[in-house]
Amino acid sequence: MQTAAFFRIEGTLTERSALAAAAWITSNAQGVGERVARLGNVALAAPLRFLGEMQTGAAATRVTWMGVRGMTEDRLILLGEEYYEKYLKDDVLDVGKDLLKQAKKQGRRVVLISDNVDWVVAPLAEQLGADDLICNRFEIRKGKATGRLEDPVIGGNVAGQWARSFASEHGIDLDASWAYGASAADSLLLSAIGQPCAVNPDWQLRRLAKDHDWPVVEK
Amino acid sequence: MKTNGHGKSGHGTGPNGHGPNGTNGSNGHARPRTGTRLRPGLELTGREGSVREGSGREGSVREAFAGKHLVVTGVTGFLGKVWLGMVLDFLPEVGRLTVIARGKKGEDAAARFQRIVERSPAFRPLREKHGPALRDLVAEKVRVVEARLTEPHLGLGEEGARALAADVDAVVHFAGLTDFEPEPKMALDANVHGARHVADLAALTPHGRYVHVSTCFVAGIRPDPEIPEEITPGLSPNGTRFDPAAEIEALEEGLAKLDTKKERVDFATARANALGWPNIYTYTKGLSEQLLETRDDIASTTFRPAIVECARSYPFAGWNEGINTSGPLVWLLSTSFRRLPAKAKNHFDVVPVDTVARGMVLATAAALRDRARPVYQCGSSHVNPFTFERAVDLTGYAVRRLHERRGTRWEREVLGRLEPHCDDPDREQLLGYKRMRQAAKAMRGFLRDFDLERVVSPALYERIDGDARKESLRSFSMKCRTTDRKLGQVDEMLRQFRPFIHDLHYAFRADHLVEETAALSDEERALFGFDAPELCWRHYWVHVQVPGLDTWCIPLLRGEKVPEDEPLAPAEDGVRAKRGERSADPLRHAV
Repeated sequence: MQTAAFFRIEGTLTERSALAAAAWITSNAQGVGERVARLGNVALAAPLRFLGEMQTGAAATRVTWMGVRGMTEDRLILLGEEYYEKYLKDDVLDVGKDLLKQAKKQGRRVVLISDNVDWVVAPLAEQLGADDLICNRFEIRKGKATGRLEDPVIGGNVAGQWARSFASEHGIDLDASWAYGASAADSLLLSAIGQPCAVNPDWQLRRLAKDHDWPVVEK
Repeated sequence: MKTNGHGKSGHGTGPNGHGPNGTNGSNGHARPRTGTRLRPGLELTGREGSVREGSGREGSVREAFAGKHLVVTGVTGFLGKVWLGMVLDFLPEVGRLTVIARGKKGEDAAARFQRIVERSPAFRPLREKHGPALRDLVAEKVRVVEARLTEPHLGLGEEGARALAADVDAVVHFAGLTDFEPEPKMALDANVHGARHVADLAALTPHGRYVHVSTCFVAGIRPDPEIPEEITPGLSPNGTRFDPAAEIEALEEGLAKLDTKKERVDFATARANALGWPNIYTYTKGLSEQLLETRDDIASTTFRPAIVECARSYPFAGWNEGINTSGPLVWLLSTSFRRLPAKAKNHFDVVPVDTVARGMVLATAAALRDRARPVYQCGSSHVNPFTFERAVDLTGYAVRRLHERRGTRWEREVLGRLEPHCDDPDREQLLGYKRMRQAAKAMRGFLRDFDLERVVSPALYERIDGDARKESLRSFSMKCRTTDRKLGQVDEMLRQFRPFIHDLHYAFRADHLVEETAALSDEERALFGFDAPELCWRHYWVHVQVPGLDTWCIPLLRGEKVPEDEPLAPAEDGVRAKRGERSADPLRHAV
């Protein structure tokens, strides 16, 4: 059976969150007035994220991306590509790159997980040579975003159940696989994988890692 | 300003008399023709019986061009250059090309053509492929004949024209005047009489094959947006029955009585509007199509491109020449002008010049096989629509990126952030260009009569350094005048563009090119297939069109020059580039 290495992009490979990407994209909408309104919409997601994804599930992610409603598909694709070029392409964390390189060397299937949208993180996945990318997609109607995300919505907390179904679908031995996360919301994923690892963890995940004796990798 | 990018013909003072070959309109029937056209007297051969409406047809472009002798006009224009480059590059089987051109700026036609081949970016792929050996290829394949299209027999005399036409397989006519509101006499000479004289030449050839480049916008003002690929003889766009020859005669008589250009333009425009054409350009092109339709001595194929714009890939991505339709609009939206008076949902029927050249190759090949349709439309609005709303959105984005890369701080921080929108042209804007122009004009009028010395006391005048203040006011007054003039030019440009960006909504069918493409082999489809249906507008507009206009068109609007390629190396330097090698950076000469 094949083994995999699951990486949560935010925190392990890049320091930028999906909230930052949503704020940047909405601040580059076509009209000046709409930029303010859209940014305000994205700002609504900040308290939900502050509460923690463990409590809010995918709601914070849904609210984060609601601000793009009515923006054209063209603009979202172009802004996604531009965001990647400006903020992700050359800013991949060294620690993440090393872990990814190691995983590939050991022949593991590299799976990137993100609550960002595909137009932002797909080029990054390609750059890093990932085998799979699990992320969100905008729902588009008549060339414009509806403000909703297509199902399944990938929230900050990816459940262990998801990991198990992915493993059975792709013939992956979860016990021998690795998972890398950076925030408390990743603990569900890390718990479901045989070899969890905390990368630059926040204080909650650090405590959890200590309790469960998970390895911790710092910058 | 051009709507389709074909070349400009000579505007000579040749006689405007009607030629011997039937410009008299036969106005008795008004049934559109859509079927395959053959010259009367020629027999149907081969697969004609198997051709079905809507089905692809067999036939190789290479086989059609192999060994053929073509006479071509207008290859010094934007579209003609690309078409000729493609033919020389991809169809080495072609027999011979006789190029009809005229001298310009002290150069004779041959020297002018040679300079174009050696310097124009349109021939860059050929120069990179053949190096100095391109001269040999051109000498072997191309003959340049100096002639004036506005004169009967192209100014060659009847014997000269007969000698030229003796072994010609087809005549391809790109030349035309594409300004929206030109001097009407020039437009008549170039677009009507020029086309007729070239058709006369085609009539002298053994097969009478004539491929005529027109424009999709001959559709004029009509209620139904879907424009079929057909010509209805003797019927104008608004449904008025008319005799094209009589119309031309009346137009010429009227023009002869008028003294100023403005009077002539107004007169011609009024006649155009009465028949349903929005301007002189579409009117003269439409009249030309109608005249050709009445002729029974040629097998005429009309090719109608829509708005010809930057190349998608040939000669290289982004190349453009001259001031085309979208150039002024994109330039306008890169300034502080924010609201384009265009209807958001209307189609902006743009087609890359190489897509149009491909279409022309297909139409010419079909004509050479005697299988051509009477009309080929080459537009995107039916097969892959692109709206003004989308164009303005993408332009705003692309311009912001351009400003970020090399704009001033004002452009980066302010203009780049204030993106354009489509807007109702009749809505008065508080800070709209019309109001700004009124304000500039009023300020200029006030300052012209204002004398600082008269309104302040001598003591105060001296204390505030009155002479320097007067000079500042004079300078400001001049700026107001310049602003008034520039905004006047913008107003005039938008007035001319209005029918095409606001009033008229079109969807030009392009089924015939789609059918021709379906019948090609994979190899030929890759080279000559009509590729507008697969065009990704987002990529094309942001990464090809706007950067291309920024390099090749917008500098002209600012009164600057655009780059020309390095001259071809002398023959003794040896071959500069090996066959098949292409530049890694297609825009390297442009930067």
